[in-house]
Amino acid sequence: MVTEEKKGELLEKLKNAVISYDEDAAKEAAQEVLAVGMNANDAIFNGLVSGMVEVGKMFEAQEYFVPELLMCADALYAGLDILKPHVQQMDLGVRGSVVIGTVEGDVHDIGKNIVKMMFDVAGFQVYDLGRDVPLDKFLEEQIRTDSDLVCLSAMMTTTMTGMKKVIDDLRKKNPNIKIMIGGAPVSQDVADKYGADGYAKDATNALKDAINMVGSLKKMKDEAEAQKAK
Amino acid sequence: MTQQAMTSKQRVMKLFAGEAVDKVPCFSGMGNVTTAGLKSLGHKFAAIHLDAKMMAEAAATSNKLLGIECGVVPFDLCVEAEAMGCEINVYAHSEDLLYPTIKKKLIHGEAEMEIELPADVTARGRVPLLVEAIGLLKKELGDAAPVGSYVLGPFTLAGQIMELNDLLKLSFKKPEKIAKLLDRMTDVIIQVAKVYEKAGVDYLTVREMGATSDVLSPRVFKSLILPYLQKIFAQLSVPSVLHICGKTNDIVPFMATSGATAISVDQKNDVAATRAKLGPQALVFGNYDPYNVLVAGTPELVRTTVHKCLDDGVSAIWPGCDIWPTVPPENVTAMLDEVANYRR
Repeated sequence: MVTEEKKGELLEKLKNAVISYDEDAAKEAAQEVLAVGMNANDAIFNGLVSGMVEVGKMFEAQEYFVPELLMCADALYAGLDILKPHVQQMDLGVRGSVVIGTVEGDVHDIGKNIVKMMFDVAGFQVYDLGRDVPLDKFLEEQIRTDSDLVCLSAMMTTTMTGMKKVIDDLRKKNPNIKIMIGGAPVSQDVADKYGADGYAKDATNALKDAINMVGSLKKMKDEAEAQKAK
Repeated sequence: MTQQAMTSKQRVMKLFAGEAVDKVPCFSGMGNVTTAGLKSLGHKFAAIHLDAKMMAEAAATSNKLLGIECGVVPFDLCVEAEAMGCEINVYAHSEDLLYPTIKKKLIHGEAEMEIELPADVTARGRVPLLVEAIGLLKKELGDAAPVGSYVLGPFTLAGQIMELNDLLKLSFKKPEKIAKLLDRMTDVIIQVAKVYEKAGVDYLTVREMGATSDVLSPRVFKSLILPYLQKIFAQLSVPSVLHICGKTNDIVPFMATSGATAISVDQKNDVAATRAKLGPQALVFGNYDPYNVLVAGTPELVRTTVHKCLDDGVSAIWPGCDIWPTVPPENVTAMLDEVANYRR
């Protein structure tokens, strides 16, 4: 049985490995988590993810910029790859599956990848279509996978308008689908006009939104369990 | 004071020369082709990137039809990368407005950073087509309006030929390797800019949006990017503009030392603060939102936005990025009218 002290130490190690973008330290700490028989879910959420939340804050405060963010993400994945096979299947109370991609004409995928990472850590089944994705492909993939969340990214004004068509098509087929859009030119105004449920204007916001979204799914799960217990 | 109104060309060139102008010019150094212009010509968007005549005609309509005080070619951001050997996608199948993109990068990771680049970039890809288009556009616009073109900045160009992920991480981990690559990009950019100058452009914009403070720290901008921008601007003989979008307030003092005749910022910049930092003489172009204001906004929003830009102290009314083609002509009219009637 792992002591609370050891647990706290390992969580701190994981968190710091992400913050100081140290892939080796993240791997080491993750191995240790497994060796001492600590819960992998706990290590991911309270270690790696809390590190990333801290990174998000530093990004917002302009202590970190995109290069640092990418390196932190690498460290997170280094730990996650080791821990993931040991994660107990999470019952989120909703189907955790998401289609994600950058719209046609746009070859930027960094923001998209950051959001994808958050879904990865949350244990979502992620269908990543990549970048420069033909608009019809989003609907096709949503139908094929029966996902209930679709995330669209566009980094340029010149490609943002393509998202409207995708949203219209998705809504026509499936009025209840949740759609999140993101990218530098996106605003609340654009999200409203296009009929999206959520938006993230940059990587920090994407990170926050993804965390919030995962958080609200957890809440839904807790509520579902509370219902069951009654 | 001359009694006769200046032509757009006189106005813009005088502005660059630091001379008095009769009113603030309303122009751009980035793409500003419009669907209204394309419709008048019967050209398809996907076709105008590949034909010098269509390109020049389409660029000219922004001035002739809508009154924007310039003509600018090209419309996409792939010319230099294509000349270095990247294949581009013009989305010929699509009826939508899709700008050409790079299909395949040249560099896939650190190991490939030393790859050989063609020595004769100006003879490759669409550079000769651009040279022809610039000549045709000059004929189209004559003395009425200036002809502009643009090249990418070294960091942004590096991002076209190499995976951005790698470029960004290496610029932090191994800046000396990236510096070497940027130096090679700088040579390519200077070569291309020189043939555009020879073809007769009146001004050139260097678009270095990859180095925005949304992505890179001001410290890295200053140490890694700025020296190469300075090298480029030192080689240009026509008036020049350095454009960076996104967050730029912390780097405008560096931008001002790049050697560019003017700097260009977008709607995220607090221009009143920039003006205070750089003083009354600096040429600061900007900074309206070309999509949310000029395309999606009402004429009233266009007017209040333009008014605020002028109050804040811009030297030219100039968009934060390429103008999205579906711009309603009445919004351009409102913009021009607001500038003409502006009284502080």
